[in-house]
Amino acid sequence: MKDASPKPAPGKDVAADREEVLYAPRRKLYVRAVTGVFAKWRWALVWITQLVFYGLPWLTWNDRQAVLFHLTERKFYIFGWVFWPQDVFFLAILLIISAYALFFFTAVAGRLWCGYACPQTVYTEIFMWIEQKIEGDHNKRQKLDQAPMSSRRLALRSAKYGAWMLVSLWTGFTFVAYFSPLKELLRSVSTLGFGPWELFWILFYGSFTYLFAGVMREQVCKYMCPYARFQSVMFDPDTLVITYDVARGEPRGTRKKGIDPRTVDKGDCIDCGICVQVCPTGIDIRDGLQYECIGCAACIDACDQVMDKMNYPRGLIRYSTENAVKQHWGRKEILGHVMRPRTLLYGAVLALVCIGFVIGLASREPLRVDVIRDRASLAREVEDGMIENVYRLQVMNMTEAPRAFHFAVSGLEGAKIDGESQIKVGPAATEAVTLRVLVPADSGKPGANELAFDVKAEDDPALKVHEKTTFLFPR
Amino acid sequence: MRKWILVLWPSFLIAALAEGLFFTVIDPQELYLLGEPVHYSALATYSIGFLGFWVVCAASSLTTIFLERPAREVNRPR
Repeated sequence: MKDASPKPAPGKDVAADREEVLYAPRRKLYVRAVTGVFAKWRWALVWITQLVFYGLPWLTWNDRQAVLFHLTERKFYIFGWVFWPQDVFFLAILLIISAYALFFFTAVAGRLWCGYACPQTVYTEIFMWIEQKIEGDHNKRQKLDQAPMSSRRLALRSAKYGAWMLVSLWTGFTFVAYFSPLKELLRSVSTLGFGPWELFWILFYGSFTYLFAGVMREQVCKYMCPYARFQSVMFDPDTLVITYDVARGEPRGTRKKGIDPRTVDKGDCIDCGICVQVCPTGIDIRDGLQYECIGCAACIDACDQVMDKMNYPRGLIRYSTENAVKQHWGRKEILGHVMRPRTLLYGAVLALVCIGFVIGLASREPLRVDVIRDRASLAREVEDGMIENVYRLQVMNMTEAPRAFHFAVSGLEGAKIDGESQIKVGPAATEAVTLRVLVPADSGKPGANELAFDVKAEDDPALKVHEKTTFLFPR
Repeated sequence: MRKWILVLWPSFLIAALAEGLFFTVIDPQELYLLGEPVHYSALATYSIGFLGFWVVCAASSLTTIFLERPAREVNRPR
């Protein structure tokens, strides 16, 4: 006799699991854990990105925090560099590099970023690991959700939410430590005496981590991520995407182990549904490429294990391209099509901008001088037939050593600075100085004449700036 | 819920962008509030700036979804 109420197939809706949340009615996912080569890659990237993220604020450099985007001082410290608001050019270039790197990798191999390195993926992975450790595998979690409230359920739930909360708070704290010196934050930890805004941002970033990685998960990718919506413009028929080999797999169905599927008119897919159970966005990759697919390759790992058990060749689900599937290409032909106009163009732009960035950074002069003419006193005749102009110089010492700078003027015959022609500027600081420049009345024409200031560091002759301005003679 | 996210999320993204651009160019110390130089700490100014941008962007999103209601919905008898 057949069971009157069959168990729902994996991936099918279960009324009890439906949650009316956020954008669309959502079926809560109980994602099955997966092991395999791509899962290893993802964990490697979780470790790398999080060691960098959680670790960087703790490093010191020149007796200061190595990486600090100091908002109060309006200076960005990144190891040996100190960036000022005037260096926004480098930030713009960095954004262009990030954008083109994203285009390039997407064109070559689809959503590599989403599947392995995106913070949403990384934190979801960490939160799911905690969930798995505390509540057990996907079946146990589903049972726990359906079970009535009990002391065991309460204990497991509080342990899970508590662990998530600790990770979230630590993440929020680390985030704030990038903008507000870690040392001061640490001092406030023991007394919980954070500044009101520091506390606000720790809680703000922490709650978003909790909400995104613990509660919303795949919905962030499906409904909130702009990249998921425009990724398709970077795809072409030669882009590597996660593909189910329909020709090999269909018609899918169950069969006895050890049987040759062709003898029972079946393809290689045994319809076990594990590829759906491991999918963090809950899709069925066998329906073809979908925008919900974040390219995490969990289904590849899962399917390969099933294929191994069945003694079928691996790769029923694999990284492949639209063209490769159509024309039955092997690995060599797929790799041969990685180089194509689109990827070459993205690659060339990326390489050029990167080179420009490195050159710009290497030739960046850590001294800047702004010359402002004193508008109150234009040109004034003084003793000995000299004409006097007054300037205000703003000297920015972008190095981390205190320096003395020497001023000289050039461009007009007999031009000289009256009075002090030297200034001391502290490390990564700005000083302003007012200079009176005297020029013999006969060495220029009435009106504006070109004049230049030469500012030189006393201890490092290579550190110098030539700044042009105008010198006025009375008409 | 869907509408809340449609209002709050895009405005959050754009506010983050606006915050970055605005404060790269403008030093909070140069700002004036009702004729007085701003005397809040830098972090407070940045934070209030961001929340302000968010509110403005959210207001725009809110207006958008308010106006995109089709005639059928507006005419619906109460």
